[in-house]
Amino acid sequence: MLAYTFKRLAAGLVSLFVLATVTFFLVRLIPGSPFQSGSVSSQVVEAVEEEYGLNEPLFDQYAAYMGNLARGDLGISYQEPDTSVAEIIGRTWPVTASLGITALLTAVILGTGLGILRAVSKKKAVREGIAAGGMLLAGIPNFAAAILLLLVFSVKLKWFPSAGLLSPAHYVLPVAALMLYPMAVISRLTGNALAAEMDRQYVLFARAKGLGRGRIMFTHALKNAWVPVLNYVGPASAFLLTGSFVVESIFTIPGLGREFVSSVTNRDYTLILGLTVFMGTVVILVNLATDLVCAWLDPKLRRSYSGK
Amino acid sequence: MSILEVRNLSVQYHTGQESRQALDGISFSVGEGETVGIVGESGSGKSTAMLAVMGLLGDSAEVSSDGITVCERPVQPGRDIAMILQDSLNCLNPAVKIGRQITETVRIHRKCTRREAKERAEELLDMAGIRSPKLRMGQYPFELSGGMRQRVAIAIALACEPRVIIADEPTTALDAAVQVQILHLLKRIVEDTGTSLLVVSHDMGVIAALCSRVYVMKTGRIIEAGSAEEIFYAPVHEYTKKLLRDTKGHKPIPTHPQEAHLRGKPQPPLLRLEHVTKVFGTDEGIRDVSMEIRAGEVYALAGESGSGKTTLARLLTGLLAPDDGKILYRGECLDAGKGKRAWNGKSAWNGKIQMVFQDAYGSLNPCLTVGQALSEALRAQGGQDRLTPAERRRRVEEMLCMAGLSPEDADRYPDEFSGGERQRIGIARALIPEPELLICDEAFSALDASTRKQVLDLLLSIQKEKKIACLFISHDLALIRQVSSRISVLCQGRLAESGETKDVCSDPWHPYTKMLLNSVLPPDPLKAGKVRPVFAEEGTQGTDSGKGCPFAASCGYAMKCCFEETPGPYRFGSRETACFLYSEKHTGKRAEGYTMTSQI
Repeated sequence: MLAYTFKRLAAGLVSLFVLATVTFFLVRLIPGSPFQSGSVSSQVVEAVEEEYGLNEPLFDQYAAYMGNLARGDLGISYQEPDTSVAEIIGRTWPVTASLGITALLTAVILGTGLGILRAVSKKKAVREGIAAGGMLLAGIPNFAAAILLLLVFSVKLKWFPSAGLLSPAHYVLPVAALMLYPMAVISRLTGNALAAEMDRQYVLFARAKGLGRGRIMFTHALKNAWVPVLNYVGPASAFLLTGSFVVESIFTIPGLGREFVSSVTNRDYTLILGLTVFMGTVVILVNLATDLVCAWLDPKLRRSYSGK
Repeated sequence: MSILEVRNLSVQYHTGQESRQALDGISFSVGEGETVGIVGESGSGKSTAMLAVMGLLGDSAEVSSDGITVCERPVQPGRDIAMILQDSLNCLNPAVKIGRQITETVRIHRKCTRREAKERAEELLDMAGIRSPKLRMGQYPFELSGGMRQRVAIAIALACEPRVIIADEPTTALDAAVQVQILHLLKRIVEDTGTSLLVVSHDMGVIAALCSRVYVMKTGRIIEAGSAEEIFYAPVHEYTKKLLRDTKGHKPIPTHPQEAHLRGKPQPPLLRLEHVTKVFGTDEGIRDVSMEIRAGEVYALAGESGSGKTTLARLLTGLLAPDDGKILYRGECLDAGKGKRAWNGKSAWNGKIQMVFQDAYGSLNPCLTVGQALSEALRAQGGQDRLTPAERRRRVEEMLCMAGLSPEDADRYPDEFSGGERQRIGIARALIPEPELLICDEAFSALDASTRKQVLDLLLSIQKEKKIACLFISHDLALIRQVSSRISVLCQGRLAESGETKDVCSDPWHPYTKMLLNSVLPPDPLKAGKVRPVFAEEGTQGTDSGKGCPFAASCGYAMKCCFEETPGPYRFGSRETACFLYSEKHTGKRAEGYTMTSQI
């Protein structure tokens, strides 16, 4: 298991290297310079570019950047010369992460709850209501949901504030906008997987040996049904943790997503690169964690990782 | 006093608009300490009846009865009544440790601490004949063999402390030798604990070995009931007679006249294997197998699961390439590069070797009509002149008629057919490219006795008519005996014995062959009851991979050399055996023309 983890981490490092390389050169393809703006003369731009080493051959710049990256130095932002990229990430990520984790937890808890309800409910209306509602929610893109929520609950009803992230009340609308889609998908996956598991022979056998419905559901079926759900939750949580560009922009939340959007419009090379590498790391780690949890749930998978 | 009493049980299935009567007023009872059998073919409603008794049928079933009682109380699953299902792999939760699956059962039935439950579970596993229960408790179902899993299921059933155990096809998925072990275990449990046993099976041999009273079921009704002796020796109902007849099978086929003629002049064999080895991991696969199949003969390959039969079939069809050794077809070597997958069946033998699979439904694409599947098989065969669609259609229809189906069946989908019909389609699919060798990999194991007889008769008549050679792979020696003229017995990847079927089956030389033959349950209560397992427990088979005789560890005749060296094949006339009992070292120097006899 440990060997497997290391192997995955090594593979992750290779992916990060490729990611950084590709992003580095792609970013340079954006026309214009980071220091260009309406009122600045081209001489000034050139002078500043020289100061930042941007006039050197591209490959030298690349080598220097990768060297720094290897030491864990993400460089400084061109837009805010006093702050390093690491500081910007340190400032914005807690905001995004707190939002993402809240959204993720709500989505998982409500999603599995609804999924279980759909699988066990004896009322046809409940089962089909959940199925239809899930389908509907999964069909609404989060920018539409965000604007709709903002309009109804903030502008019309004035129940929740519309911008910023100062109090728990501020969390409600962005979290709702972020979690609706994953919740719908999780409830559908859990419901389907559980229904399939409940038809399996081992459930019949468990009933024959006298186990109650609840025990069968929670100790037997759910353990098997969780694997497909987790395979979705893993990658989905990576997205939630690295922030939603749209939702953060709509609710003016000072998070990673919004920072990313502005860094691209500002052509802030180091910031774009830094954020990309950071998000890539989070995605890789979260996926690894998902696979490890899946292996914990599925003994057969575990054995195959251990190479036994 | 009867422990289980079922009166006038009827079940109707409602699916959509249709409803189907699955059970039509059946009544039966099981007395204290009694072992009762219910026998019938698949679809006769046996399993439905058992699930209805347990109250485990789904919502689509409507159950009505005048009372189902266990110890004069209404049935509640797990209370006084326990059940063992056929498919032991699927009836244990794959994600939960064995120990937990037993202890949770223990704890429903008696108030006790976790530790006590654990001790009890170890005791139960021990009762079920599992060695080192402590180790097994920490393992997951997929880590155990089929027989071992069925023992675990039995231990779980015992954890319910039942007065009656329902065993629904308890050994159908198991090898003959393991089947005997499990049946023996069930018998011992009945003797030791005084519980009653209700055995449901389609196999007359299993029923004969266990039961003192038998019910015969057909299409949802009990058509005959009586003591085992009455049912087996003096059946009244026509259906019971037919069941017994089909199980006993037809007379062993005499060697074909044309074959006798062939033997006169030595002909090059159709297919020849020379020291073929293909190993997966450490112990799976086959080692150093040599054999010859002649044109037009029925050759049988016998062995238990895991003996490498299927690997061999895949090698012959070119789905796998051997690690070592040669496969020659009409003297021509198929060499697709060592260790590489010889995927392209076209280049391999040009479609002259075809295969009928065990899982007839699984091997047919559910999205293609039968006609499409068959014409695809026709198209895949290279070298032939291109046929027009109309010609192909005509061939497909001809083939379907030959396989005992109707031409209109070409437009139907696989799921519209019954198990036996699907196997006919599988045969048609294999025969349509006009092969010279047909491989039947356990093609008949999943079928009922009567259906099997029909499909088998069909196949053999086509085989005789078209003079197709047939490699018949099966674990069922009774079946092999009926159909084949020559046989090879595989034991964990190595050939144990080969020769003429009638010689090998009537006078086995290798202890492994003898063990296999002794595990065949005849449909006769007196004889079947006497069949004893060779080893009481599992996990004793096999030596370290690759060295010594694979059967040595469970062989009563094993000598020191059996564990250290691999016995060579020793050849005597048409027979060959790989056992040191037949080596010159053991028997002493032999004179020219010495006639070997069985040493066991």
